[in-house]
Parts: sequence; structure tokens; C-alpha cells
Amino acid sequence: MFEEVSEVMEMFRNAFPLSFLFFIPILIALTPVGAANEFSVYKMQRYDLQGTSFGSKNFLINMEARPVGSSSMTRRCIVARLEEVTLSGYRDWVSQNAGGLVILIPENIQQLSEKEKKHLQNLEEDLLVEESGIPVYFAPETEELAEIYESIKNGASGDQAATAWQAFLGAATANGFQMVMTGPAEKPLTDFPIASIQGRLSGSGIEEQLPSIVIVAHYDSFGVAPGLAQGADSNGSGVVVLMELARLFSKLFTNSRTHAKYNLVFLLSGGGKFNYQGTKRWIEDNLELDANVFTDAAFVLCLDSLGADQTLNLHVSKPPKEGSAGAEFLKNLEELAKSRSPAVKFNMVHKKINLADEMLAWEHERFSIKRLQAFTLSHLDSHKSPLRSSILDTKENVNVEVLNRNVGIIAESLAAFIYNTSTTSVSQLFSQSLGPQASIESAMLNYLIQESRCAQLVAPEHSLITTLQDTMSRYLKDVKISTHKADKRDPEFLFYSGSQYTMNAYNVKPAVFDLFLAAAIAAYLVMIWFLSQNMNVLFSTIKKYVQSPQKVKSQ
Amino acid sequence: MTFFHFGNCVALAYIPYAIVYKCSGLSEYNAFWKCVKAGGAYLFTQLCKMMVLATFFPATDSGGDGLDVTGEFLKCTVDLADLVGLHLIMTRIAGKSQLKFMVAGMGWATSELIMTRVIPLWVGARGVEFDWKYIQMSFDSNVSLIHHISTAMLVWLYSRNDLNKSMLPVVTSLLLLGCYRPLIVEILIHAVGLGSWMLLLAKTLFTLCVGLVTLQMYLRIPAQLQNSYY
Repeated sequence: MFEEVSEVMEMFRNAFPLSFLFFIPILIALTPVGAANEFSVYKMQRYDLQGTSFGSKNFLINMEARPVGSSSMTRRCIVARLEEVTLSGYRDWVSQNAGGLVILIPENIQQLSEKEKKHLQNLEEDLLVEESGIPVYFAPETEELAEIYESIKNGASGDQAATAWQAFLGAATANGFQMVMTGPAEKPLTDFPIASIQGRLSGSGIEEQLPSIVIVAHYDSFGVAPGLAQGADSNGSGVVVLMELARLFSKLFTNSRTHAKYNLVFLLSGGGKFNYQGTKRWIEDNLELDANVFTDAAFVLCLDSLGADQTLNLHVSKPPKEGSAGAEFLKNLEELAKSRSPAVKFNMVHKKINLADEMLAWEHERFSIKRLQAFTLSHLDSHKSPLRSSILDTKENVNVEVLNRNVGIIAESLAAFIYNTSTTSVSQLFSQSLGPQASIESAMLNYLIQESRCAQLVAPEHSLITTLQDTMSRYLKDVKISTHKADKRDPEFLFYSGSQYTMNAYNVKPAVFDLFLAAAIAAYLVMIWFLSQNMNVLFSTIKKYVQSPQKVKSQ
Repeated sequence: MTFFHFGNCVALAYIPYAIVYKCSGLSEYNAFWKCVKAGGAYLFTQLCKMMVLATFFPATDSGGDGLDVTGEFLKCTVDLADLVGLHLIMTRIAGKSQLKFMVAGMGWATSELIMTRVIPLWVGARGVEFDWKYIQMSFDSNVSLIHHISTAMLVWLYSRNDLNKSMLPVVTSLLLLGCYRPLIVEILIHAVGLGSWMLLLAKTLFTLCVGLVTLQMYLRIPAQLQNSYY
């Protein structure tokens, strides 16, 4: 016995390096196990603004998936297509203590029909306001995801069974999905700095004594899921127009003949979708420190959503007085809008600031509160337009030609104002080489919508900010970034981290199934044991069959 | 899926081996170390095969969907080394004839089971996701036990002098069939598009047929007719 042992050991010792070499490849080959279905999900917004919380307080999903309409939702993750989610249904799930909601949206969101878009926009508003603990995620529907959705939908889960026996059988044969989310935990971003970028063009003469024109556009986007908000029209188009104006006027201001007696101040403000936090802070800073920006400000022009439609609306809180700078600019705009073919419809929309409302309607109201002549130019006729804060605001919403035309109108009316000439003569100024160029605008817009620009995703170190700063410094002077953090004790706004997560759908069986399987295996093993116990019976039968012809022969 | 599921798979894969070991009379002959030796020989043979494969069949990264029949055929030809390995084991082991091939087959199959099944089961069957393939894999290991024992039996038959000469072509063709089994399986997967369950069933039936034919031939040998253990 011991001899044998030592013999075996001898063999292993001799072969050890070899057998080691033998194991390693097997280990390497076998470790990667086919990963479960993996897909990206985008978390719904969560933020606190002026003491009110928006969005869901929970974010973790690690539970079984259920389709819409299954009877028990408690601690389950509901997987639904967009059209299946309604506000009343959502409230119902909340009352049932559902554990999570994954809403499937088409990969190309513009595929939705008009009716569905309307539905999505309403849902975006409602879900954000609704107070609940259900984590809500949006998932672009890939083919894989569509398959998972179908199997969840068709899966015979124990919940729907009529009788106890059916429920029992269903539990054993069901094919469930466990939705597991991976990614860093959601945490509040206290001290999150909102960055605003400003730059200026100085007029000819003593800079301090010249009046200024302030041009403002907020660069952030907004949507129900921060990771999906491209914000092409609102306010990618505003940023593009501002950049193009900066480019055109920087050229004009370098030529001594066209160097106007006005300072132009350009501001790309942050946090525009959060009650214009960046603008607010910028005004406060500049009123206190650097008074000359405002004392002689002729007017403040805010740009918001300028990429579509045949209309231009000038939103004002107080109609400009006859003869004031604002009135003159307004007149220029009106004339130039008319002169286009086809004519652009121009309106002035008057809306008083509602001080009772916590949210300001347009960006210019931040300036109007401080008694500055200010207005917002937009193709939208109301600040309530859902397009301003929707994930539907993609590139398809912006027509670059319209954008280019609007740049032309604004640039010409500005020029007519600062050179104090008639609107007809100014159109030659922006001729071929100096004209607004659609290619530049389109490139800029494409860059802006590459990534989501939601305020909580764009920290001052973000590449978007540095790129915008670089572009501005190419045309403007004194380009600088100012950051704004919320007050520590009484924060006006509070963002939360995390927008894109990875979700895995694991194909799982209920626990009862394991018991069934164990019973089946036990039965199989007993059968094997019984067979091998009676092997000799089999042997003798075969032997008889084999022997009989030979016996015949021998006889 | 869970540890319970892992337990299920392991039970399905390993307990039949234990049953066969107990009931075939191997335990009465203290054949454990002989089985271990056979397992060691399995390792050595696989290593040699791998050397040959790595030298003459460098891995191609083309990864096309098409089936490279000739390449697979040549690779399976290398599996003939298995037969040589089994033969060597049996010539080294002293003992009764039926003990020889049982030891060789058992040792060989167990060694393969441990080498190729433990880690996938450990990694996969305990994972969150459920997949039938682990149950199939465990069941497949039962089939390969029969396969290896019958192959060992065939090799043993082949080396016998008192084998009826008319049987020799049958034995050879069965050996070759067993050897090229992976190739046949590949072709079946590609050509017929068998599902994993059907494939498993086909494998089982095929192996059972080979096993029965082999058993019948074994029992035909004159020596077996006279002094049979059973």
C-alpha cells in the first residue's frame, strides 16, 4: 500500500511542473463565465431646489422584474415601455410599494409619434414632481433589452396563477429576471460649483465710460434623466448664437473703422435650468465688485432656444420706454425680421415678473429684478413650453439654417444699434467673409450635444467648460470662469451624483425550482444505483444471448 | 444560481462515479491508488497532446463561423494518443482482466471530471444567473464515464489475442468512432442545428449503443465464458 503511495507521489513529483503547466491554461480558459445581459440605464433627476426635493430618494435596484399589470408589485422592479407608464399607474405602483421602475425608451427618441412625445413630456413633468421612493430609470431599448422585455411580459410568474397548484407549478417553471444595478452609490454633491464663463469686447474710447451691452445664454440642459438631456435647442442653440456673435463682433471690433463705442459683455451662465443660479450669482458679484458693467448697461439680451420656427419672440418684463436703448434695438429687430424672405414673425411678449413664484420664467428676469433693461429672445412663446426641459430636445429639433438666419437678424440689429445706423445699410456689413457661417454653427452645435450638459454633470473641470473657455478666448478678452457654490447652511440647490449606471438582467429561477431539481436528481441517482446493483442480471442476459448460438455449434 | 444549485450539479456529476466505483467491485480490490495512477496518466497524456496541438496546430484568431472539418479532423486524430495512454495504463496494472479496464476507465474519467468540470461548476453554477448548461454538463459527465469505460474495454479487447478475428474490424471502427466523437458532435451542431438537449440525448444514446456492443463482445471472449466473475 505504502509503496503504491510513494510511487504515485513520485509520479506527481516528477510531473509537477508539467501538471502545473497543464492546470494554468485550463484555469484561464474557464474563468470568464458568460456575462448576463448588460445594458445602460439613466437615472431620473434628483435635486433639491430652494427647499423642495425633486425626484426619487432611492436609487438602488436589486430585485426581480415584473411587467406592468402583474398583480403583486411589492419589492419588484417594474419594466415597462414608455406608453405603459401613466401617472395614475405610477401612483398605483407607489402605493403598492414597488421597488423600482425601468422605463424603456426607443434608442432614437425622435422615432416616437407626436402623441407619444406629448405623453413623454407630460410624464417628465409629472414624475419629477411626484414625491416617491421608487427609483426610476430610463433605458434606451436595445434588441437585447426588447427580448428581455418580451420574456418578462410573457413569463408565467406565480403571481398571476388562478389556483394554488398552478402557482406552485408556475413557480417551478417560471423564468424570471433579477435586475441588478451596479455603479457607485448616489450621494449629495454638497459644494458643487456651478461655472459661468464671461468675456468682453471693449469699445473704442475710455472703456470705463462706455455703455455696455450684455449678451447672456445659459449653457446647461435639462431632462427627466440628466444623462439623456442633450438640450440641443434649449439651450445649445443659444450658446451657438452667442459664440457666433462673439466671433462676428470680435472681427468688427479689431477694425478701427468699425470699432463701436459700446462694450460688449458675453456671459455663458451655468445652472440656467435651476432658476438661473449662475446668472444670479454673476449679477451679485458684478453689482458689488465691478460696478461699471451695469451702471451703463444699455440693455441685457438673453438668448434661449433659437433653433427653430418662423417666429421670434422678445420676452420682456416691462416694455421698453420709447426712445430708450431697448426700444431702439426692438425696432431694429422687428424691421430686420420683416425684411427676411420668408418674413419672420416677430412679437414682443410682455409678462410681468411673478414675485410670488419661486421659479423665474426667463433668464432676463434676473436682470429685470435689478432694474436693468433686459429681454430674452426665443422662438418659444411661453416659458412653460415643455421643450425647454425635455429629453426630446435632440439635434432634430434644431434647424441650422434657421439658427443661421437668427444669428444674422440678431447680429444686424445689434450692429445697427451700436453704430446707430439704419437697418438697411447694416446688412452689407455682414457680407460674405464676415457673415454668419452655418458650418461653424453646425460644428459647434454638434460638439455641444455630444454629451449631456445637465448642470450636475458639468463641473468647472469638465471638458465642456474648458473648451467653451478656449473658444471664447479666441475672440474675446478677459475670459474668466467664475464658480458659484450653494450656501452651506441654507443651500439654494443641491445636486446628487450619478446619472448613468449599468444594469444587469440575470435569468433566475425561483427557490422552489431548486427543490424540484434536487428531487429529480435524487430519483435519477437512485435509478443508477439500482441499475448497477443489478448489473449481473444484465450481464447474464447478454451472456445467455451470446452463448446460445455457440452451444448450438458445439452440439 | 445558488449554492444549492451548485450542490445539485455536483451531486449529479459525482455520485454516479461513486456508485460505479462501489458496485463494480473496484472497492473490493483496493483499486483506489490504481485509479489515481490512471488519472495521473490521463494528465500526462493530455499534456503530451497539448504539446502536439500547440506545435502543429497554432491557434488561428480568424474565429469564423464556418466549420473547419479537416482541421478538426486532424485535431481529433491527436486524440488517438488517448487510446495509447489507456493501453499503457492497462499494461502497467497487474490484476484481473476486468479490473484492468475498469481501473483505467474509472481513473481516466474521474481525472477528466475533476480537470474539466469542477471549475466551471464552481464559477458558473453558483452565479446569480440560472442556466441549464450546468445541469447538462453534469449529466454529460455521466455519459463520458460510460464512454471512457467502454473505450478502455475496447482497447483491452483490441490487445487480446483470443479475440475472435472477425470482431477486430468492429472493435477498430468503434474505437475510431469514439475518438472522433467530438468531430461528429461539431458536425451535428453545424449541420442539423441540434439544440443542447437533443445533442445530449444523441450523445447518450450513441454512447449507450457503443457500450452495449462492447459489453457483448467482451462477454463473447472465451476466457470470459469459462471463469467469469459474475
